[in-house]
Amino acid sequence: MGLRDVLFGKKKLAGPARERLFALTTAAVTLDTELGLRTAGDAGIVFKPLSAGDFVRAENDLQQLLDGVAGDSGSKLERREDSFGYTWIIVRDPELEDQVTTIHAVAQGLEEQGFGSQLLAAVFKFEGGKYPVYWVYGYKRGAFWPFVPTGDDQKRDNAEELELKAKLEKELPVEQDLTRWFGVFDAPL
Amino acid sequence: MKRRSYGRDAGLTLRIFTTASLLGLLYVVFAVVLFNVLSVGLVPMILIVVGIAFFQYFTSDKLALAASGAKVVERDQAPELHDMIERLCAMADLPKPRVAIIDTDVPNAFATGRSPKHAAVAVTRGLWQRLEPREVEGVLAHELSHVANRDVLIMTVASFFAMLAGLLTRFGLYGGMFGGGGRNRDQGGIPVWLIVLLVSVVTYFLSQILILAISRYREFAADRGSALITGAPEHLMSALQKISSDIFRIPERDLRQVETMNAFFIIPTSIKTSARSLFMTHPPLEKRLAALAEIAREMGRPVA
Repeated sequence: MGLRDVLFGKKKLAGPARERLFALTTAAVTLDTELGLRTAGDAGIVFKPLSAGDFVRAENDLQQLLDGVAGDSGSKLERREDSFGYTWIIVRDPELEDQVTTIHAVAQGLEEQGFGSQLLAAVFKFEGGKYPVYWVYGYKRGAFWPFVPTGDDQKRDNAEELELKAKLEKELPVEQDLTRWFGVFDAPL
Repeated sequence: MKRRSYGRDAGLTLRIFTTASLLGLLYVVFAVVLFNVLSVGLVPMILIVVGIAFFQYFTSDKLALAASGAKVVERDQAPELHDMIERLCAMADLPKPRVAIIDTDVPNAFATGRSPKHAAVAVTRGLWQRLEPREVEGVLAHELSHVANRDVLIMTVASFFAMLAGLLTRFGLYGGMFGGGGRNRDQGGIPVWLIVLLVSVVTYFLSQILILAISRYREFAADRGSALITGAPEHLMSALQKISSDIFRIPERDLRQVETMNAFFIIPTSIKTSARSLFMTHPPLEKRLAALAEIAREMGRPVA
């Protein structure tokens, strides 16, 4: 945050940082060879839908966007609302690379429609460890962080998460401020 | 001047440190303006500085609570926390301070207030939820020791002398170089006021580093106090280890839950490391643990 923002209060929402997302495709090799983690075939992008006013227009645009992206990529897209009032676009595709490309296309489309500052995160699911591993990409931060829920009520495997950070931070822009590693419990992936 | 936060919490520390530094800078700029532009003499100047120091001293608790975003809670909002603090105050023979909670997952706590009667103790939600009760007790006893040791008074005096030092440097520089008379003469070089400003800012930051050194010694004193109040330094030791470990910095809450508060007002992360050791208000963990282990041996307590 610049000094001006501190002094005068931040007036604008930060725009999304979409590009660093692609680092995940490079990191996938390390995830596989060193940690035995492979994509579970699901990824998702989560954003806050617009409030009532623009709703109908946005709704039509969104449907068009999803149809378009699904046609281009061959990934299966699904739409979900969650209990926090967020909208998820779930991407089902066996290849991680395609998931990343599709997520990126959806993010780009959403941004073109003016949803840019509403983008919260992209979530990629991996399996092969004791618990499922999620890599969360925060659009506001332009960084990834690991999230390993143990399945018990809001508990996560912090030791595993720190190990993932240590192993991957050379290849992946990992969020260095651990206090921002918020979870996405009950993600519909 | 406020009591500095406890343990390692870059966010909170940075917030409080920035606030304090900005306050100090404001102070310096204000003094320079008075001195150079309005030509106020040295004596009224010192009076004004003393006045501001007093103002800071008397509002220290409110300033610290506001800077950290702590909310004062009454007994019905946090009965167990109130009970614990009351017990510890009885042990330490202190009046009960106001109790405040900071809404974050990172375990941390601080105490503030100019005297035991005007003290406040703030803990984060993370401290209360993620540490064992005995460990929380150790931490609270540490904070109450700060209150008992009157550390806010000590730090206020220390920073007052830092201010005075800055002021005298400026005065000396001014008198020495220009013999008092030619204040508006700048013959092509850097303007006089800029030199004056730079020197005072540098002096201010150097004094700030010294103040932090004092602060680190006060932490050892408060650790000892905590050991005496609870009679069980091993709990403070395990609390310190937990507070410093990375694991307890990872939040337990959901991204979508906190987003309304902060996730949408965020700067893209820069991959950075900070030079914090010089600016540490607390001694390194190993030294504190070693000192506590020594106390534990003196008291004949088991040491893990």
